[in-house]
Amino acid sequence: MLFRNVLRTLKKQYIQLLLLGVIITLSSFIYTTMDYGVGGILVPTEEYFEVSNQEDFAISMLDMILEDDGIFIASNCALTSEVHTLSGLKNIDSACYYDLIENRLNIIENEYDDINIELRENKDVYFNFDETSYKVRFLKATSEINLSYFVEGNAPATDSEIAISEAFGKSNDLDVGDTLDINGKDYTISGYVLFPDYSLALFSANLIIDNKSQSLGLLTDQEFENLNENIGFEIAGDLTNGTTEDEFEENVINDFRDNDNLPFVTNIVLTVNNMRSGAIYAELEGGEAMGLGLSLIIASIAILIVGIMVSKVLVSQRGAIGILKSMGYSNRQITIPYIFFIAILSFPAIVLGYFFGSFAAQPMSDLYKMIYLLPSSAVEHSFDTFIVAVIVPFLFLLVVSYFIIKRILNQKPVELLNPQMVSSTNFLAKKMGKFLKKLKITSKMKHLLLYRNMVKFLVFVIGMFFAAFLILFSFSMLDIFDKLTVDYYNNTNHNYIGYCDIELPCDNPTGTQEKVIELPSVILGDEEVYLVGLESDSLIHKLVDTKDNEITNKLDDGLVITKSLSLIKGFKVGDSLLLEIGDEHVLIDVMAITEEYSGNKVYMSREELGDIFVDSTEYYNVIYSETELNEDNFMMIISTEKIMEQSEVMQGLFETVFLIMIVVSVIIGAIVVYILTVMTIEDNFYNISLFKVIGYNNKEIDKMILGGYLVYGIIIFLITIPIALAAFYGLTAIFAQYYELVFPFDFEIWHAGVSTTMFIIIFYTGAFVAKRHLNRISLQEAMKMYQV
Amino acid sequence: MSIKLENVTKTYFTGEVETHAVKNVDLEIKDGEFIVLLGPSGSGKSTMLNIISGLDTPTSGKISIDEEIISDMNSKQLTKFRRDNLGFIFQQYNLLQTLSVSENVEVGREVSLLPFTVEEVLEQVDLIPQINKYPFQLSGGEQQRVSIARAVVKNPKIMFCDEPTGALDEVMAKEVLGILQKLNEKYKTSVVLITHNPNIGAMADRIIKLNSGEVVEVIENKNKLKASEISWG
Ligand SMILES: Nc1ncnc2c1ncn2[C@@H]1O[C@H](COP(=O)(O)OP(=O)(O)OP(=O)(O)O)[C@@H](O)[C@H]1O
Ligand SMILES: [Mg+2]
Repeated sequence: MLFRNVLRTLKKQYIQLLLLGVIITLSSFIYTTMDYGVGGILVPTEEYFEVSNQEDFAISMLDMILEDDGIFIASNCALTSEVHTLSGLKNIDSACYYDLIENRLNIIENEYDDINIELRENKDVYFNFDETSYKVRFLKATSEINLSYFVEGNAPATDSEIAISEAFGKSNDLDVGDTLDINGKDYTISGYVLFPDYSLALFSANLIIDNKSQSLGLLTDQEFENLNENIGFEIAGDLTNGTTEDEFEENVINDFRDNDNLPFVTNIVLTVNNMRSGAIYAELEGGEAMGLGLSLIIASIAILIVGIMVSKVLVSQRGAIGILKSMGYSNRQITIPYIFFIAILSFPAIVLGYFFGSFAAQPMSDLYKMIYLLPSSAVEHSFDTFIVAVIVPFLFLLVVSYFIIKRILNQKPVELLNPQMVSSTNFLAKKMGKFLKKLKITSKMKHLLLYRNMVKFLVFVIGMFFAAFLILFSFSMLDIFDKLTVDYYNNTNHNYIGYCDIELPCDNPTGTQEKVIELPSVILGDEEVYLVGLESDSLIHKLVDTKDNEITNKLDDGLVITKSLSLIKGFKVGDSLLLEIGDEHVLIDVMAITEEYSGNKVYMSREELGDIFVDSTEYYNVIYSETELNEDNFMMIISTEKIMEQSEVMQGLFETVFLIMIVVSVIIGAIVVYILTVMTIEDNFYNISLFKVIGYNNKEIDKMILGGYLVYGIIIFLITIPIALAAFYGLTAIFAQYYELVFPFDFEIWHAGVSTTMFIIIFYTGAFVAKRHLNRISLQEAMKMYQV
Repeated sequence: MSIKLENVTKTYFTGEVETHAVKNVDLEIKDGEFIVLLGPSGSGKSTMLNIISGLDTPTSGKISIDEEIISDMNSKQLTKFRRDNLGFIFQQYNLLQTLSVSENVEVGREVSLLPFTVEEVLEQVDLIPQINKYPFQLSGGEQQRVSIARAVVKNPKIMFCDEPTGALDEVMAKEVLGILQKLNEKYKTSVVLITHNPNIGAMADRIIKLNSGEVVEVIENKNKLKASEISWG
């Protein structure tokens, strides 16, 4: 009987309950998608790195033959001609080259314990096909560290076979078994290969990550040696005997620059800090932080709102509970049906969200593979995620419901049977009382209905606040991906970037072309930054700050840094930054911050940079141009159009993530406004009916009942704006500092306008629906039904 | 104002069961008349009152007040009509919980054409000391008196009262009935009053007895008593 009573009660509010169900579903959906989308990559990726023995660190060496090397060569090789570089040496005496390398490796191993190192050679091959230029970095197979990993097919067995990246193959319609013509030689694709030291196809001078025009490749050792291109090399290393990265950092990385026995070592980088191999770690960590962080925020707000709503439903049951109590039902008998139905209704909604989420996670995790070179994998369910996505919110709802019922049950039956106490003495009512005295009763009513029932008013205020927050939150994310990517190129006028060949002199810039210096890895503190030397009167690469003021000429006085660098490192205008440019250490002041939300970039005056770098104010190594550049004069030319295309692929992932967040939070926000409105009007059904009986017309009643809520709703929306803004700034700072991720949350006046308009529309829709419901029953029945 | 019911029926359908709450009632209430409706519980008194006053619609039949046909009015017209002409006192007290005693009465006063003052009316029902209390702070009888004051303050043309004295003791009940009688005599307000107490019939112009939704007897009362002269229970 009690079960039936509860069921009937809930049935009356089935639309609201359904919508609450939608919120619950969405909240577990968003969390599950983000968690599995990222986590679905994490686990198989770690396994892949494990089996293919990813390097723990990488050592870069000078190609130049140094004094000690010369001595070694003199006593070990019989060279006929003079060489200055190791790559040159390899061309004339391969055995001597390997001996010399071996010697260098020995020197390193003698200096440091607990490491195991191996040479990693590569050759970069450029080739054209159908008017498009491609680049393949061939890696020579190793035997211990960074083993080749085949996602499909096998290693090349003959000299006319090749293994390429799956992403490159897929985006160029090249399957295993197809042939690929590289500079006149046909290779049969024997398989798709991955190399753990390249989880990003990142090997250009600039930071282009593009799996359509770039691939990693594997040939037989013999064929590798047959390639005419210059050899490139690095040393891959493993930590042994349980050495930790921290110990290695302290004993090796902080030491090698001062070690006189290692003049040929230019850099040692731990994998976690190495873009090409370790960026995926940061990405996954960042993706986790972002996806999980944001989705947790949204999901928690959603569950909180559901809790509030459920409590509202339960509080409206006071009378019923009072009657049962007065008849002698035990607290347990009364509680169980409520908890039972709340469980029955919420559990499927949560589980549904979980399953939708795990389905949606697969395409999301596949997006990673358009950027990162990783093995594909199916999303696997994990118990932890299930707990957080399903069990926690479920228990939360049950516990909240339980405590509300318990609180109600703790009151005496008489208190429950009488209408809920009106708090005429609360602060707001008192304060407003004086002011309201002068108003007509109809105007007064508007406010009294709110203040004199603090509990309901608070529910309304809190609910609306969260709703407004979510809606503003989603608007603020609208522009994020544009800001992170295309905005930069839309603001600049150069269409082509030409990278000068070190050996050939660059064209002297003409017309709309400008000299630029780009130094991709300048050390700033313990971080590598991308230093760009720009003309301070540049016409085709103007720097603009967040307020749209042009700041290019500030380069005359010092540095201009990107907004992302400023957020991540906390640099402000006026700070002095210590840059290591070549051999020089220079301290320069930050003069301004550009509105660029991606890249750790520092701009300085080209002339000054040239002067510091090579003692020449005329120096440049890159040309920015509005018009097309002559390919013969440059090592590489990139069109910005192409960069934008590429970054669009990269940003597909971001866009998807943010789109999910935006849509989910707008829907949740809208639903909350709707339910709160309907519930609020329903609370007032009795008052509305009574006013009608007394003779008030609809317009007057709307003014009294709806007017107050509408006004306060709008006020809440407006008050939420600064709070939301502060929260966005806070989130941006947190993400930037802890995860080095920049989210340019953005607030614009129209966001406030649109969200307030949205509120008003939903409010009136809810009110209309509720009132139509009331109009369907006769007045006297309504009065009996909703008697308080 | 005079009220006319022609062949009015109200049937409730609850699942399979039909309840004829009011059955084929023909009735005329003259301008300024004081009517008492008597009948056992469930006989359809409240239902009839609700239909007459336009709070509910009849299943069939016609209701007119003066020349206006209530049963044909839309809800907007009904509202206007109620606002200008009718006062209600309910079986349940039906007070607004968020408003104080004086504010509840004020709500009634606000929409009337020729209202009395709030104090005047509260004085009559002896509620001046409770003027700033909220409904939950009042006794049942006090709540009923607030509900009466709220109807009276409107100075309506017709007053509908469903058990207005149910929660009152003899003295207070007579007081309230006296107020209604005074309205009726002084302002020619028609009064339709439901009660279980047959003695109250003594102050009416006519007594109408209902049973199972049908008018079973109409008694003309030639010898009207003053409210204070009624012999109680
Ligand atoms: N909404 C409704 N649905 C179904 N039946 C109803 C409804 N309202 C009233 N009834 C039935 O109509 C009949 C008349 O009810 P009404 O309230 O008019 O009685 P009453 O004469 O006022 O009784 P009381 O003196 O107890 O107040 C009753 O049998 C009641 O059960
Ligand atoms: Mg009744």
